[in-house]
Amino acid sequence: MKTIYRLIIKDAIRFINDKPAVILTFIVPLILIIIFGNIFGGSGGPRGRANLILVNESNSIVAKLIEQRLDSSKSLRPVKTYESENGKNTLKFDEETAKEWVRTGRISAAVVMPNDFLADTSTSIKFKFYYDPKNEIESSIIQGNIQQTIFTQIPRMMPLLMQRAAIKEIGNLKGEKFVKNISEIVGESFGVNPDSILRSVTVIDSVALFREAKDSSSQRNFVNNLVKFESEQLVGKKITNPGLTRTVGGWAMMFLLFSLTGAATSMFEEKQEGTLKRILCMPISRSQILWSKYIYSIMLGLVQLLVLFFFSWILFDVSVFSNFGNLMIVMVASAAAAVSFGMAITSVAKTLSQASGFSTLFILVMSALGGSWFPVTLLPDWMQHLSKATITYWSVEAFLQVLWRQADFMAILPNIVVLLLIALLINSYALIRFQKGWI
Amino acid sequence: MLKVNHTVKHFGNLTALDNINLSIEKGEFYGLLGPNGAGKTTLMNIIVGYITPENGNVTIDGEVISVRNLQLRKKLGYVPQDIGLYLELSAETNLKIFGELLELKGKELHKKIDEVLELVQLKDRRKDKVGDFSGGMKRRLNLAASILHDPAIILCDEPTVGVDPQSRNAIFEMLQHLNKLGKTIVYTAHYMEEAERLCSKLAIIDHGKIIAFGTLGELINLLNQKDTVKLQKTSSTTRLLLKLSEIGKIIEQDFYYELIPNQNYDKISKIFAKLEELEVPNNNIEISRATLEDVFLNLTGRSLRD
Repeated sequence: MKTIYRLIIKDAIRFINDKPAVILTFIVPLILIIIFGNIFGGSGGPRGRANLILVNESNSIVAKLIEQRLDSSKSLRPVKTYESENGKNTLKFDEETAKEWVRTGRISAAVVMPNDFLADTSTSIKFKFYYDPKNEIESSIIQGNIQQTIFTQIPRMMPLLMQRAAIKEIGNLKGEKFVKNISEIVGESFGVNPDSILRSVTVIDSVALFREAKDSSSQRNFVNNLVKFESEQLVGKKITNPGLTRTVGGWAMMFLLFSLTGAATSMFEEKQEGTLKRILCMPISRSQILWSKYIYSIMLGLVQLLVLFFFSWILFDVSVFSNFGNLMIVMVASAAAAVSFGMAITSVAKTLSQASGFSTLFILVMSALGGSWFPVTLLPDWMQHLSKATITYWSVEAFLQVLWRQADFMAILPNIVVLLLIALLINSYALIRFQKGWI
Repeated sequence: MLKVNHTVKHFGNLTALDNINLSIEKGEFYGLLGPNGAGKTTLMNIIVGYITPENGNVTIDGEVISVRNLQLRKKLGYVPQDIGLYLELSAETNLKIFGELLELKGKELHKKIDEVLELVQLKDRRKDKVGDFSGGMKRRLNLAASILHDPAIILCDEPTVGVDPQSRNAIFEMLQHLNKLGKTIVYTAHYMEEAERLCSKLAIIDHGKIIAFGTLGELINLLNQKDTVKLQKTSSTTRLLLKLSEIGKIIEQDFYYELIPNQNYDKISKIFAKLEELEVPNNNIEISRATLEDVFLNLTGRSLRD
């Protein structure tokens, strides 16, 4: 028994002294649980609100009410204005600008309450919803929240809309007489003032409308016909495999990070094997060694991505070749940034096992935060800000632009610049450390 | 040919090399002898340009080894202490990779690969993975990879660590062969037997300083100590002590008497003649010669392998 005890102690001591193992066992799962918890479990603060453009062109008090409800939504963040190109003026969105913003990927959805939202004689209210389902979950959340907000207000307007429907069916004079008679009968039967009944079906009671409406599914079903919800998908209508097209970039980036970090940190293996020292004693400079490692890793990453996208095309009909030139640019920039991440790990870590531990930790966290696994918009606000500090975010967004939106070079340029800047900065740092013999 | 000038290197608070000066001539088999941690490998790393000294420099034929003069490294062939080979690749592929990095190509490269594989007796294993080789075979290939480009100076950093006696001998013979061909060899060791067998000149290094240098004979002469005779402690030798004192001074040890001959007995033959006359049995006699170990002990006060 003592022997078993000593052997257990031996394993425990070895584990505690193996920092990468401790990181992988405790820290990685802990961080991932925090991220997942924030998305799916609601722990650690409120989930982030999804942005959508809100254009209210109607003077109706009902439209004003819905706008107010959307403003106070916990899931949506209506955006109503934008800055002009010179940044000097704040402009109000109109329908066309809203559509353009959705079309170009600057925002995922726009809801428009047009001039004829609730015309004097209208028997239904009218919404226009423009969306880009680049993130399926996000689109569903936005649509669901808008509909919920609208439908919970509809019961307040139901009598008015029904009265209008009746008038439309049986004519104005007859209709008014019909409503008046019905009001008197109901008032007499239930001991209620007929005038108040008549007022409630002919005039919009703004006070009542602004009171909290009670949600009821039966009411919602009933009022479905009273709402004209015109939705239009502005982007990705022709995509043959929307599901995979949206996600392939994220997965590609995660595996790219794993493979290229491995390639970059192979320097440690060469150091341990003694081959690095042998090479350094030849007529070869340290910067030549570093650059060769860098270029090789980028090439490896490109081949990996090409194979991945090629099979996505062959097996799942992902449209890879329709925007291939820009896809190649994104691939090169992503590979360059991924290798530089590997170089950064190589620069900081002191041993191969340290490098493996750190890289696994950072790759999984970057993948979770940067949009490889689920849309960034599902994260709390503070995590959404944090995600912009990851290579994954800029790369996944660029892949989405190219594959989903079929965007041109100018659209992906900001992402490319960020990725290449990351690569440049980290590589310069790694080069200095390597030349000084610190790696 | 190879000069180390006023070289200083620190690692944190540790002084790895303290103003080292060395001059190694063409064709010499030069040994750097010292215990583990003495600074031999650091000195070797500076000579091959792997690390840069804080002070001083290394020159080959008057040219300073530096990152600005990478081509000078072609004159050096470095045999590292670690097996600096790709274990997952074949012997031939390893040599091809390193040969190309040494700017050999085409037929010349193939010819050189054949030559070095022949020299290290691995020609018939050229297609085999290095990972499947024995320790001795790896060491031999390690040497082969370092001399592909026919360097003028071969630097061997303890190239026989962990090798069986047979392979060690083979490596010694290869190095002696290369030395006979005119190659200058710098060899670090902490086994005095290796240094005594191979090196024409030696430098003893300890705590980052060269404490003595010269030929083996010159170093032993530093001891001012002659060969001694050890006589096993038996009843017969004990009875003869008085007569034995005619040969020289007798120091009693636990299991033997140490006999330090006087001037009249300056030759081993004279000592043996006297012992024969006194009828001391042959198997009770042992001649003890001064070694590098004694030199090191004398200079540093501690054993070479401490």
